[in-house]
Amino acid sequence: MQNTNDIILKAINKSYQKGDNTVVVHDDFNLTIKSGEFVALMGPSGLGKSTLLHLMGGLDQPTQGEVLIGGQRIDNLPQKKLTQWRAENIGFIFQSHHLLPVLTAQGNVELPLALTPLNRKQRKQHASMALQLVSMSERADHYPKELSGGQEQRVAIARAIVSDPKILLCDEPTGNLDRKTADEILALLAKLNSDSGKTIVMVTHDHKAAEYASRVINLESYILSQNNSLSKNEELLQNIEPEVDDISIGASS
Amino acid sequence: MSNSFEHSLSYIEQFFINVKQAQALTVINFKSFPQRFAASLVSILSIGCVAAVILSVLAMTEGMMKTLAQSGLDNTVLIMRAGAVSELQSVMFPAEMNILANNSKVIRDAEGQAQVSAEMFVNAEVNFTDTSGQQVSKSLALRGISATTMKFRPNFKLVSGQLFTTGVRQLLIGQAIARRMPELSVGENITLGGAQWQISGIFSDDNSVFESELWADIGMVQSDYQRGNTIQSVRLALNNIDDLVSLEKEWQDDPRLNIRVITEKQFFAEQGESLTRLIRWLGFPVALVMALGAMVAALNTMYAAIASRSKEIATHKAIGFSPFAISTSILCEAVLIALVGGVSGILPLYLVFDGWTAATQNANSLSQMMFNFDINLKLIAQSMALALLIGLLGGLLPAFKAMRLSVTEALRD
Repeated sequence: MQNTNDIILKAINKSYQKGDNTVVVHDDFNLTIKSGEFVALMGPSGLGKSTLLHLMGGLDQPTQGEVLIGGQRIDNLPQKKLTQWRAENIGFIFQSHHLLPVLTAQGNVELPLALTPLNRKQRKQHASMALQLVSMSERADHYPKELSGGQEQRVAIARAIVSDPKILLCDEPTGNLDRKTADEILALLAKLNSDSGKTIVMVTHDHKAAEYASRVINLESYILSQNNSLSKNEELLQNIEPEVDDISIGASS
Repeated sequence: MSNSFEHSLSYIEQFFINVKQAQALTVINFKSFPQRFAASLVSILSIGCVAAVILSVLAMTEGMMKTLAQSGLDNTVLIMRAGAVSELQSVMFPAEMNILANNSKVIRDAEGQAQVSAEMFVNAEVNFTDTSGQQVSKSLALRGISATTMKFRPNFKLVSGQLFTTGVRQLLIGQAIARRMPELSVGENITLGGAQWQISGIFSDDNSVFESELWADIGMVQSDYQRGNTIQSVRLALNNIDDLVSLEKEWQDDPRLNIRVITEKQFFAEQGESLTRLIRWLGFPVALVMALGAMVAALNTMYAAIASRSKEIATHKAIGFSPFAISTSILCEAVLIALVGGVSGILPLYLVFDGWTAATQNANSLSQMMFNFDINLKLIAQSMALALLIGLLGGLLPAFKAMRLSVTEALRD
């Protein structure tokens, strides 16, 4: 029986056309992330780390295979349902925060709540709480251009968590930040993982950043281990955790 | 894990959620519009030009139709030589007028005099000195009128000066002419057909086409233009306009008469139709080509707007905004551009030209006809609707592109 919050990528094939060539990004890829885990996905560029993140968030569809979240297949959901599902279950944090310059921090955080049945007062309350969680209450009325890079990323995190999604997908969230600010942001993510039980999947090149995760997956060796495994029987793959290249650091759990 | 997405929302609920999302994004787009104003300027100006051209054409035709519609009376019949489409082409004889006047269906006054007016209509070359001291020559309509003519013009008012004296080279000028040519004031002398005429007064006639005419004694006009005792048209008032059909048949069957019978209202409506047709034929194709250009400009602006905001749009999609909401907000922005463009074209035109007197060559009389630009709410609404339509059509393809934008590609770029 699956835990309802697990993320499971099953026999994923992902390829795309580049001119006349077919570029294979993933071939028969399998991964399970348990509910409440903070997983760092590492590895060299071009291995498809961000692609995995996009598949988990329903932003992209696999060429073949299944993406199950909480026991629900999302790779074959119609676009309309997928959009709605994403709004309710997934929070995205990008390297570039993509905050809207015309809205204040408060306005940016309130934006995803336009997708909910909450009224204006409730939206304000929720956004204030989210800003408080990321220690940005005092800057609520500031516009992005009045904030530092770290503060902008905090607001982006508040925006990602404001509708209380269970899963946070972070694509190089500290890629543009200095070490000190990056550490603050990572500590914040670790806190959200430990205190609020958010499942976090973070793509990063930064080994220091990976130390905050409860599990680090080096994608290069992970794929190698999958290819070397004796059997690719689907039933077995569901039960086998490729622990060889799975480095558990456990800094935050 | 929330599974509420599994509960299928009703179409109505889904629609309202989409509208709410579109509203939120549209507000954001509108807020950021000032930042993109400069980039949108080409679209704004081209849509503004289209709105202005369309409004000009509509205001001109409306103004002309209004001027001509106000020129005819319901119970007045205009009679010309058979085959004549204008008074200028017609020639009639006093004997014919007498036959017409003797008909019992024509209104008579207390003395038993029939309400009939014989008129001359000449395309006159008018020479005078303008305000800068230069000799100018204008082609104006000169109407020779008889004593009964005023009975057919109940809205006639002497604005200044006095009526002309019969048998003297004096004339009245319509106030539309006086407005366009302020040199032609009361007491001034002008040259008509080689002879000096004095302006005795200026008249108004409820903005009708007659305000674009010079009125003089019919005898003097016949004499100066060597027309003998011929006339060009006859106006007569009927007791009951419904008698016209039977009357027309009676006159057609009369071997002494060879005439065309038409109500004055119908006559001016036909003139209006031929005049405005020309404006439409010239104006609408120009406006159409401009509209296509403006649409391409709007299309280009919105494509550029999407290209520069692809990451922002991708973020909205990632957050969970529906493609419908995103494309609707793009369309709303295109319509906003069109709205600003429409106002920028319509407002200056309204402020400067509403009520402005313009002149055109009346093909039927070969002389100038004055009319007012009539910019009313209906025409403004029509021009604005066209502007908004251009914006909407120009925004359709970009909105579709935004709807189909791949989040992963946009975020990767």
